[in-house]
Amino acid sequence: MTQQALAQSCGVTRQTIIALEAGRYSPSLELAFRIARAFGVGVEEVFRWKSE
Amino acid sequence: MMTRRWEFAGLLIAAGLALWLLLLAGPDKVLGFDPGKAGMVLLVTVTWISLYRISRIPRSDLDAVVSPGEWKAWLGLGVSLVGVVYFVANVRVFGAGPAWTNPEASAVARNLVLLLIAWTVLSNVMGSRWKGVVQRDERDREIEVKASGWGRGALISGVIGFALMLGFSPADRLQWATHFMIANLLVLALMWGWLCEYAATVAMYWHDRR
Repeated sequence: MTQQALAQSCGVTRQTIIALEAGRYSPSLELAFRIARAFGVGVEEVFRWKSE
Repeated sequence: MMTRRWEFAGLLIAAGLALWLLLLAGPDKVLGFDPGKAGMVLLVTVTWISLYRISRIPRSDLDAVVSPGEWKAWLGLGVSLVGVVYFVANVRVFGAGPAWTNPEASAVARNLVLLLIAWTVLSNVMGSRWKGVVQRDERDREIEVKASGWGRGALISGVIGFALMLGFSPADRLQWATHFMIANLLVLALMWGWLCEYAATVAMYWHDRR
């Protein structure tokens, strides 16, 4: 899936997807669920919590 | 590629010339002619040409680099920077009296209104380029909220700065502080707030793209 296609299916801009992938932006819970749904997997399979 | 670079350089030179002419508006005349009007016309022309060139770029190429929110922020930064610099360069004309008895102040005010109109038209044209795609998402809203804090702070500090200057200056050094001048200083503080807000917005988008 391209960044543009993912952005379109989640209702965000392509640059937001780019910022997410680069770790420069943390999505809201709603956006995280939308992204996971777009991939057809659970949220924890897409996002990981980095404990400090 | 070389043609594009020459075109870009040409537009930059024309924009620089327009800004220089604008700074001569009001009290300075060249052979009895107010260069400020020519400067504003040139600036609007450069803006239209730039817009036309941008409209020729395929949207996929535009989307690849910059989001609609960032485009608008850069545009706002450019326009507000020109507005503030122009205002500050010509602020002395407001000391001579209100606009309806002061042709120089009228000229400056007219050019600022033209700039505002050009900005509005530009924003609408840029908005139409992104019809059908997301123009503003949660990240844009988050950036707007953070940047508005910066803008608010700049506005408050500007107003407080002017208040302190007026309040603590001896009366004999405040002949320039007519009611019209003070009103325009408050407008300048507002423009300064907008400039800082757009600058903060651009900085945050830039940080996300680094």
